[in-house]
Amino acid sequence: MIVNYVVTVLTLAVIFSVTALALNVRWGWAGEFDFFVYGLLAVGAYVDAVFVLPPVTSSDVGVSYVLGLRMPFIVGALAAMVITGIISLIVGAIALRQLRQVYFGITTFSVVLIMSAFVGQYTALFDGYNGVFGLPQPFNSVLNIPYFQYGYFFLAFCVVILIVVYLVLERVFWSPYGLVLRAIREDEIAAAAFGHSPYAARLKAYVLGGMIAGLSGALLVSYLSAFNTDAWTPIETVLIFACIIIGGTGNGRGVILGTFIVFGVILEGTRFLPDIPGHPDWDAALRAIAIALLVLLSLRFRPQGLLPERHLNDGPTGEGVWSRLRDRMSRNAEAPPS
Amino acid sequence: MTILLHNVGFGLVTASIIALASVAFSLQFSVTTTPNFAHGDILTVGAYAAYGAQLLTNNILIEALAAMVGGAVIASLLNFGLVQPFLRRGAKRLTIFLVTVSFGWILQDLILIIFTGNATVIQLPAVTLQHVGPFLWTQLDEIIIASTVVILALLHVMLRYTKFGTSLRAISDNPQLARLAGINYPRVVQMTWAIDGVIAGFAGFVLAAYVGALTPTIGFSFLVVIFAASVVGGLGKPYGTMVGALVIGLAMEISAGYIPGGYKTSVAFAILIAVLLVRPRGVFSSDVWNFAE
Repeated sequence: MIVNYVVTVLTLAVIFSVTALALNVRWGWAGEFDFFVYGLLAVGAYVDAVFVLPPVTSSDVGVSYVLGLRMPFIVGALAAMVITGIISLIVGAIALRQLRQVYFGITTFSVVLIMSAFVGQYTALFDGYNGVFGLPQPFNSVLNIPYFQYGYFFLAFCVVILIVVYLVLERVFWSPYGLVLRAIREDEIAAAAFGHSPYAARLKAYVLGGMIAGLSGALLVSYLSAFNTDAWTPIETVLIFACIIIGGTGNGRGVILGTFIVFGVILEGTRFLPDIPGHPDWDAALRAIAIALLVLLSLRFRPQGLLPERHLNDGPTGEGVWSRLRDRMSRNAEAPPS
Repeated sequence: MTILLHNVGFGLVTASIIALASVAFSLQFSVTTTPNFAHGDILTVGAYAAYGAQLLTNNILIEALAAMVGGAVIASLLNFGLVQPFLRRGAKRLTIFLVTVSFGWILQDLILIIFTGNATVIQLPAVTLQHVGPFLWTQLDEIIIASTVVILALLHVMLRYTKFGTSLRAISDNPQLARLAGINYPRVVQMTWAIDGVIAGFAGFVLAAYVGALTPTIGFSFLVVIFAASVVGGLGKPYGTMVGALVIGLAMEISAGYIPGGYKTSVAFAILIAVLLVRPRGVFSSDVWNFAE
């Protein structure tokens, strides 16, 4: 039984690592204090759900949602990424124009709360406060894996997705665009003086982060097979921020490490504490306090995180083994014939 | 028309609660220039302090006093134990903001541990609805409005006519210059946080009494409404914030007459976003409303 529990927590940690990587694009690279990322996770989850679920029939009393296309998971996940990308484009195009830092945070925070109230009240869209439920297991109509082994398969699948997302983001991080983005974060006016549009670069990062958040939402809803408005409260976003701050703002590996530390606290933190009668939430609250204290300690003693953001000369174009090899080869090629 | 007037009456009550909470928030912002994300949780602490006092005594004045003391203690603790040490190390505004986020998170969970997540009720004397002019209020509503007016008037007198108030306005206008002029900067800032806590704690008590049920997230869920009122009035400008609270409170209650009540707070957020996009420094950012003059 304990193995199943570990698989559950590992799967959630992997999925939330993807979310944390998405927030890292916005907060770590571009420096936007973004609370919207968890709202996009929710949008991704809902969009995937209504693509995958069967249409509402008259026998489903009190259930209502749009579409119901009975599509495979891949289509649902792609649709989730497209829709979250479009929403990020709209919200980003408006909010990134003049809002910065804390004001940006307050605005995106409110947008998520408005969305949550709207989704909860307007039941025709995603079934209101009840939410969507009963999603089929991805790929299992083809693979037919028995129920108890399916958890391992899905964990492996999520790990593959995480690795792919990580590698893609590493490419972007070291690309000229990634450099421009971080230059804008450090000094917007200087970057603009070099002919880069801060607004366009920020907006691209915002859409990229949003699409990854949508993908993680699709993974999450497939794993939980249900989703409702209780699952996306503002405090969840704070948890993702905690993962990034503890692990290392701006560093993909650090972010994944931070997520696993936070989930480690959730998994192991209070296992040996006794139950207190009449206080059912006390161990969960204690774990939340432990994570908040970790964040405070990180901010005080290691604000750059456990694995700090890497700079140009730590990376593949600098001191790395490949670049040294490339340098040597080019030197040989340019050497005058003797 | 009657319904509209009744909603305006409810709006005035809501606006009073928002005004208390957001003026405290704005006052603190004016000297620290960092929004306190734990502000909502200071309200919660105030409400639970009143609840704790209620377990010992049934005197509503002592409960209100407990709320004020509880709020002041927590706000001072946040400033003294976290914000000032981080500021001394040259932390950026965003770091301070994250510190307050974590502090609020800890407060919420501590309350959850001590009082459990079950909704509790602050017992109040029985009230009846009565017509006051065109409005329909209970005695509780009247007390809320009256006490808000008294507290805001006291605040006004303090800001305008005391040495402390002058120092506070000087710091808010130009901290460096204020320091050069010999103002005891740390003491004034610490006092401002304490006053912020007193008003916020009382606001939490009033909020819990008005809503009827008390949960560990009562203040946190009120936070964006507080943000909205403060931003509409101009962050760090207590006088503008009072008007902002009036705008938000009235908008929330009047809108409830036309669209489902579940969207009430969304109206406040929508106003907040609109103001941030059009006039990020607040609607009343002209000199007339400038707090330091």
